[in-house]
Amino acid sequence: MAPKSDLLQGTLDLLILRTLSGEPMHGWGISQRIQQVSKDVLQVNQGSLYPALHRLEQQGLIEAEWGSSENNRQAKFYQLTRDGRKQLAEETRNWERLAGAVGRVLAGL
Amino acid sequence: MFRRWSVRFGTLFRRDRRERELDAELRYHLDMLIEQHVLQGMAPDAARREALRVFGTLEGVKDEVRDHWLSRFVEMAAQDVRYGARSLRRNKGFALTVIVTMALGIGANTAIFSVVNGVLLRPLPYRDSDKLVVLHHGEGDAVNNDMGFSVKDLDDYRRGRSFSDIVEFHNMFFNLLGRGEPERVSTGVVSANYFDVLGVRPLHGRTFVAPDDAAGAPAVLVLGHKYWERSFGGDPNIVGQVFRMNDKPHTVVGVLPPAPQYPLDVDVYMPSSACPFRSSKQTVESRQGRMLTAFARVQADVTLEKSRADLAIAAAQLAKEYPADYPQSGFRAIEIPLKEELTRNFRPTLWILLGTAGFVLLIVCASIANLLLARMVRREREISVRAALGATRARLLRQLLTESLLLAVTGGLLGLVLSAFTLKLLTTFTERFTARAHEITIDLNVLFFTLAVSVVTGLVFGSIPGLSRRLDMAPALREGGRSSHASQRLRSVLIVAQVSASFMLLIAAGLTLRSLMNVQSLNPGFRTENLLTLRADMSFDRIPLTTPPREARARRSAYWTEFEERLKALPGVISVGGGGTFPLNDQNPFPNGFEREFHPALPGTPPPQIAFRLATADYFAALGQPLVAGRAFAATDSVDAPSVGIINQSAARHFWGTDNPVGSRIRGRSNLGGRPDDNWTTIVGVVADVRQQLDRPPLDEVYVPVRQSPFFGTTWIVHSRLTIEDATRQIKAAAREHDPELPVTNFRTLAEVRSTALAPRRVVVALIGSFGLLALVITAAGIAGVIAFSVNQRTQEFGIRMALGAGRSRVLGLVVREGLALVTVGLGIGMAGALALTKLMGAVIFDPPMPPIAGIPGPQPLALLVNGTPPTDALTYVGVAAMLVVVAVIACLMPASRAASVDPMVALRAQ
Repeated sequence: MAPKSDLLQGTLDLLILRTLSGEPMHGWGISQRIQQVSKDVLQVNQGSLYPALHRLEQQGLIEAEWGSSENNRQAKFYQLTRDGRKQLAEETRNWERLAGAVGRVLAGL
Repeated sequence: MFRRWSVRFGTLFRRDRRERELDAELRYHLDMLIEQHVLQGMAPDAARREALRVFGTLEGVKDEVRDHWLSRFVEMAAQDVRYGARSLRRNKGFALTVIVTMALGIGANTAIFSVVNGVLLRPLPYRDSDKLVVLHHGEGDAVNNDMGFSVKDLDDYRRGRSFSDIVEFHNMFFNLLGRGEPERVSTGVVSANYFDVLGVRPLHGRTFVAPDDAAGAPAVLVLGHKYWERSFGGDPNIVGQVFRMNDKPHTVVGVLPPAPQYPLDVDVYMPSSACPFRSSKQTVESRQGRMLTAFARVQADVTLEKSRADLAIAAAQLAKEYPADYPQSGFRAIEIPLKEELTRNFRPTLWILLGTAGFVLLIVCASIANLLLARMVRREREISVRAALGATRARLLRQLLTESLLLAVTGGLLGLVLSAFTLKLLTTFTERFTARAHEITIDLNVLFFTLAVSVVTGLVFGSIPGLSRRLDMAPALREGGRSSHASQRLRSVLIVAQVSASFMLLIAAGLTLRSLMNVQSLNPGFRTENLLTLRADMSFDRIPLTTPPREARARRSAYWTEFEERLKALPGVISVGGGGTFPLNDQNPFPNGFEREFHPALPGTPPPQIAFRLATADYFAALGQPLVAGRAFAATDSVDAPSVGIINQSAARHFWGTDNPVGSRIRGRSNLGGRPDDNWTTIVGVVADVRQQLDRPPLDEVYVPVRQSPFFGTTWIVHSRLTIEDATRQIKAAAREHDPELPVTNFRTLAEVRSTALAPRRVVVALIGSFGLLALVITAAGIAGVIAFSVNQRTQEFGIRMALGAGRSRVLGLVVREGLALVTVGLGIGMAGALALTKLMGAVIFDPPMPPIAGIPGPQPLALLVNGTPPTDALTYVGVAAMLVVVAVIACLMPASRAASVDPMVALRAQ
């Protein structure tokens, strides 16, 4: 298991929560969506994605349900819980504050 | 919410479904990835390979996911426990040694803690018991100079606002008649509110109500539970029965539940109106008739501090209002929580016992840590293999800790079982110190304590070896890998710690043993062989209370003189002495103020204090207490003759100095500076000192003749050639002949009394001594283990030495020297620790002795280190050090002889 910094793990959690804020999605969909929206800048490693999903589920931030996918196969769909929405709002604010701060420091130099 | 918990804990169950779902979820992802590659134009085979390359192994991802399941943690723990149990089963000898060592350490601690819990920690079994206080008033430190309470004192204190109520108690012995043999019962004389204030409900019938206490009310009794079972076989129909006591009918109205009784375990209770003394005019009207103990319940909304302040103010007002009845300087009243009061005398002893038990546990810890260290070295290979197979350092540490905890908890439970066997002994022991002894049980607190101590102990000894070793692959699979120097050094440090702790424990044991031996060999100043003591208590109704005092005295005098003659006439009796008490009787005589003729005390100073005692003419002869000057009492010292007295040497030395006391006169004098007694007593003789308590110096005493001061209750000492059984039977017959309603009780030989007086000390010595021995054995085993291990490591070295011509004795010496080096360092540290510790212990033990609660003989705190055993007693130090060295040498010899019998060729070839 490669060590992950808190920043990376926290960021992945944030990305997952944000991606799920619209509609329920399965793991594959989440990874595709993140890659697509970030214009291939962010590639989610499956080895990190699934542990993260299960961790978030254990924390009660997301919940899962089996359903049919686009191609009519059974897939596990994740969606945000109320706690998850709260967490997303908070993490987004934190991220914006951090990004803003880093931006200001960079601009200032 | 429920869903969330079900998700979380769901991982603990339905494991298969969970696994299936994970597999399906990941497979879907993989399939999608392959599909994507195919869509991008790859051949299906290539797409699959590429997907797997990106994805990593399916199992690896699964494992990472599982790490986030709660079940993972539990699973690993269960796995650790299973693995640990298996590995311990394979090493039965090791596991057994650790478990037994642990059980002994935990057993000792659990036993002592169960006493601490029952006596100090548990709340009293009374309603809102933290609001119950005991009152004291007197000069200076009111607790140690408590003068007791009179009826008028209490009436005035009751007017204070901070107490919801005050109750009174005093202890009397009365003769209960009406059922064959007269029975002498210990009676608690109490105010009617007594049981209500304490919050005790009756088992049968009722307790007292206010009208019971009115003057002239019909006399009633409440029976204590133990007495009721012992004397009436637990018959509930006892309620309503009538007995005769003090020339009056007394009706039993109730029976108490089996709850412990405070302040004293008495047989029966009566309201104050039924006690001939308490209800007499003199007692009720005299502010100085102070015979009562007082408890109070503090109002629910009043703090202890506030009520304490109120009480102090009330006392100051009383002293101002009645200057003749209270000391005019330094008089104060204080209150002490009942719970604290009941255990005051036991606490120092108990803390010392708990401390020594703690030491044992430390030694146990060090010893087990050492065993684990040795085992670690043997398991080095196993651990390296596990590390190589991917076990993380944390996982390995957890595995080791799990094993330690497994051992610790098993040992702890065994210890709990062991301690259960000691409870009875400990209760008997504690009984001599506090009324709470019967509350000692193994309850939830004790269970929790045992478990907590076991777990903490397991964590401590488990993490010492765990942290010391680098749990990685460094020594990995290295052929013939040897334990690092760090580990060996740690083992030496642990041995040094064990030796020093054992030394301190053994010093404590040695010092207490020495002082017990000193006390035992002490000459108490009287004969203890062939002496039988007994009590005889005349019923109060033999001489009506209305009889004029002078006539009553004459009649009592004649009564006892006749009784004495009957005893003397028994065949086989050599001499008979009578008095109020006898030495070692636990009863503290109350010192009285007195004044020597022509030597009045300086104005404003309290009069000198002397203990008054009673004696018949033959008392000193019977006891073997030599007369050193003047004469003994004679038949001519009768009621009508001038008062005479005999003082002991101690009093002569203190108050007469070089003057000859014989022929001088003294009289009693109140401590309060009131009018002195008119009646002068002439000193006619001086007797040698006797010790009233074995571990205290003799008191200043003055004896007066029984004929001149005849009391209702007497104690007799019979010196005879008879066996105890014969003497008892004959004396009982003689007493019946003298007065069929005279109970003669408490037959005991003085030798027995003397031995009982030392019983608590012996138990303390036995406890500390067995803790010390335990420590010694564990330490010796530890030394043997460490040396054996080091010998093992140095087999080749010994082989080479012997090949080069070193003799057997030289190798032996080499090994023993290595062991002794450790022991010497341990002894040095232990000696410094022991000196510091005994100083501390001395300070605890030499607390001022506690006085009796008014009228009740108080238990004395054990003065463990008195009678010529200073805490630095050289003999003890040298003896203990020598013993440790000898034991250490023996412990070293076993592995040493193995070293010496190494075959050089074998050792070298093994290279």
